[in-house]
Amino acid sequence: MAINYFYSDLDLTFLKKPVDGDVSMKYNEQAVIRSIRNLLATNRFEKLFQPEIGSTINQLLFEPVSPLSASLIEDEIARMIDNYEPRATISQIKVSADPDSNSFAVYIAVFIGNQASPTAINIILKRSR
Amino acid sequence: MAGANSTIQVSNLDFNSIKSNFITYLQGQNTFKDYNFEGSSMSILLDLMAYNTQYNAYYLNMVANEMFLDSAIQRSSVVSQAKLLNYTPKSSAAPSAVVHINFTGVNSNSLTLPKYRNFLSAALDGVNYNFVNVDTKTVNVFNGVASFRNVEIKQGTPASFTYTVTSSQVNNLNYVYEIPDATVDTTTLTVTVKQSSSNTSFDVYQLATNGLTLSDTSRVYFLQESLTGTYEIAFGDGLLGKKLSPGNIINISYLTTEGTQAAGANSFQMMSSVGGYFPSEVVSVLAATTGSGKESIDSIKFQAPKSFSAQGRAVTKNDYISAIQENTLGIPFDGVNVWGGEENDPPVYGQVFVSLKPSGGYNLTGTQKIRIISEVIKPISVMTVVPVLVDPDYTYIKLNVSVFYDPSKTNLTADQIKSGVTASINAFGAKELNTFNSTFNTYNLLSAIQNYNQSIITSEFNLSLQKKFFPNLANPNNYNLIYGTPLQKGAFLSGVTSSPDLSFASGNIILSGMYIEEVPSFTVGLESVSVTNPGFNYQETPTVTILGDGTGATAHAVVSGGKIKNIVVDTPGNGYTTALVTITTALNDSTGQGGSAYATIEGGLGILRTYYNNASSVKSTFNSNIGTIDYAKGVIALNNFAPIGINNPLGQLTISAKPSTSIISSTYNRIITIDPFDPSAITVTVIPKTNS
Repeated sequence: MAINYFYSDLDLTFLKKPVDGDVSMKYNEQAVIRSIRNLLATNRFEKLFQPEIGSTINQLLFEPVSPLSASLIEDEIARMIDNYEPRATISQIKVSADPDSNSFAVYIAVFIGNQASPTAINIILKRSR
Repeated sequence: MAGANSTIQVSNLDFNSIKSNFITYLQGQNTFKDYNFEGSSMSILLDLMAYNTQYNAYYLNMVANEMFLDSAIQRSSVVSQAKLLNYTPKSSAAPSAVVHINFTGVNSNSLTLPKYRNFLSAALDGVNYNFVNVDTKTVNVFNGVASFRNVEIKQGTPASFTYTVTSSQVNNLNYVYEIPDATVDTTTLTVTVKQSSSNTSFDVYQLATNGLTLSDTSRVYFLQESLTGTYEIAFGDGLLGKKLSPGNIINISYLTTEGTQAAGANSFQMMSSVGGYFPSEVVSVLAATTGSGKESIDSIKFQAPKSFSAQGRAVTKNDYISAIQENTLGIPFDGVNVWGGEENDPPVYGQVFVSLKPSGGYNLTGTQKIRIISEVIKPISVMTVVPVLVDPDYTYIKLNVSVFYDPSKTNLTADQIKSGVTASINAFGAKELNTFNSTFNTYNLLSAIQNYNQSIITSEFNLSLQKKFFPNLANPNNYNLIYGTPLQKGAFLSGVTSSPDLSFASGNIILSGMYIEEVPSFTVGLESVSVTNPGFNYQETPTVTILGDGTGATAHAVVSGGKIKNIVVDTPGNGYTTALVTITTALNDSTGQGGSAYATIEGGLGILRTYYNNASSVKSTFNSNIGTIDYAKGVIALNNFAPIGINNPLGQLTISAKPSTSIISSTYNRIITIDPFDPSAITVTVIPKTNS
């Protein structure tokens, strides 16, 4: 393999790489960011035989959109990253409630590996059903 | 990628081990490095694969379990395994009772009681159960009275089912006809086959039990349990049993029973007329037996291999036991014991003894015994061995229990504790006693009492054993009551006692209010001393010393030719229960040595007498010797015992004795039990702890 990556993972979209038709992959920061997104999207008791892995974010999205819920989501995100993503060190997590669009804007800044500057992740959390 | 599959271990069966196996495997490659992080997509794939692997492993394990009789869990698997061992699980058994039915004013020479007439039991817990008679009976009428004696009636509702045989069913050798009722009692099954719908006559088919005797004309059906738990019948293929033809009409009739619920019903009313007459009375002879539900999975697992190993023959003890357990002619039972005549006391060679304890009753009736011998045992036993069915010999336990409890640890009243302890003791009796080869275990009894409630601090009990029998009031008889355990040599009023009071004839006078007791004997001395080793070279007579827990026994030796010839007891002494004989060589004898002897204590046999209290309430002996007590063997013998009355409506006499040990085991046909019909069998005294 020509380039040596620290982290390499499947892309869950399972798209084909246009060049060689192989399954597409995620590397380094992208792999870690995807991993964090996966963790946040996993509910408790969803993983077989590992009920403790997963967050309550899904339930919190059905609470009133308020600074209190935002703070709880913040704690939940921090807990998930601290416990299950050893590659990322939290620099900042900010969740702001946006009652008008019934959603939360999430900003996560993490140091991945021994990076000098944090990587930012921006996510909009909105309940879908 | 690592090529070798050696990193994958196939022996792991749980999720975590399988997943860590996958991780170990992936460590050998460079393409996907994120296998070890919970959030990674790779980890999600690994979870799925590990789950799938575990699911398949679990499933295969379960499939393998169901393939063996020992480990199968589903009833259908157990039944299927048992089928390979030629074992058909037993169906529900209907409780059965015996009644006499009397008709008066009958204007004919004979009266026929057809099968399946309805009887209704008196309410048990608010429910009246339907019983039916199972056989057709005809009796002659005398003076307008028709009396049906000993009619067996079974709890249940008659049902029947008809199938018309089609040609596709005949061609399919595996075709079975289902009996759609789950609670059928298959011992009541009657299968008939009519040639076609236009025929009126029919053939009765019998249950096939032995493949060796079947031919192409044998009218038999095969019975088996289906996968859904109902029963189904199949017919012969033209080689083993007669083959059906298209257009035949099969009629299956049977009883569906409510199982054990009607147990104990003992009052019946006839609901339908017989020849236009209603009975003047229905007298209950035997209350309804317990009956039983469908055979449990555990029981099938236990019975099937034993039944198979007996191969339909009775040679060893276990063959007899399993043959009887398999088929008691529908009589529910609690236990069976079998022993060879050579083990019997006294030995009877060429016989084998069988004892059967029916559920909910004490003894089998005479007819039931004859039927079990001739229909169950005789056809499969060795020709020169005579099977004998003997009644169980019951030894009843009477317990006087004192319970010391702390009222501050419970909110139960003394009466509630009393009835709770009684119930615990009864449960102990049902679990540990009441069958053959059981042992009365003091520790388990005390734990049963203790475990009833945490407030119980300690308890103790006083145990006596009772034998109950029906003495012949017309002629003198000898009775041997075997207690099966050594008895205590009692002092006045604490040894052998009897109840209720008896009447004896003395010339022309009838004396009542008599009781049996042990003749008090306080002095227990040495009966004899036997020489076990005469020794040698005695020049002088050695000294004989008797050491024991009594006092005053002396004896001297008789020496002849340097050997001790015998030892003579001079004074028997008294109060001995054990005695040791020491032989000391005389001081001036330097050569004599080696002599030894043992002592026999008298009173190995006690004597029984009858007494009464005369008009001035003075106890008088009526007959000073009516029998003996063998304390060591635990046998009470009554010789020429001829009471003319017993103050008890049943005519039953109870003789109680105290065992000298509290470990009591039953062997042969003996059963230790707590009499459920005796309210005084368990007496509980509760003593509250007082805090002062």
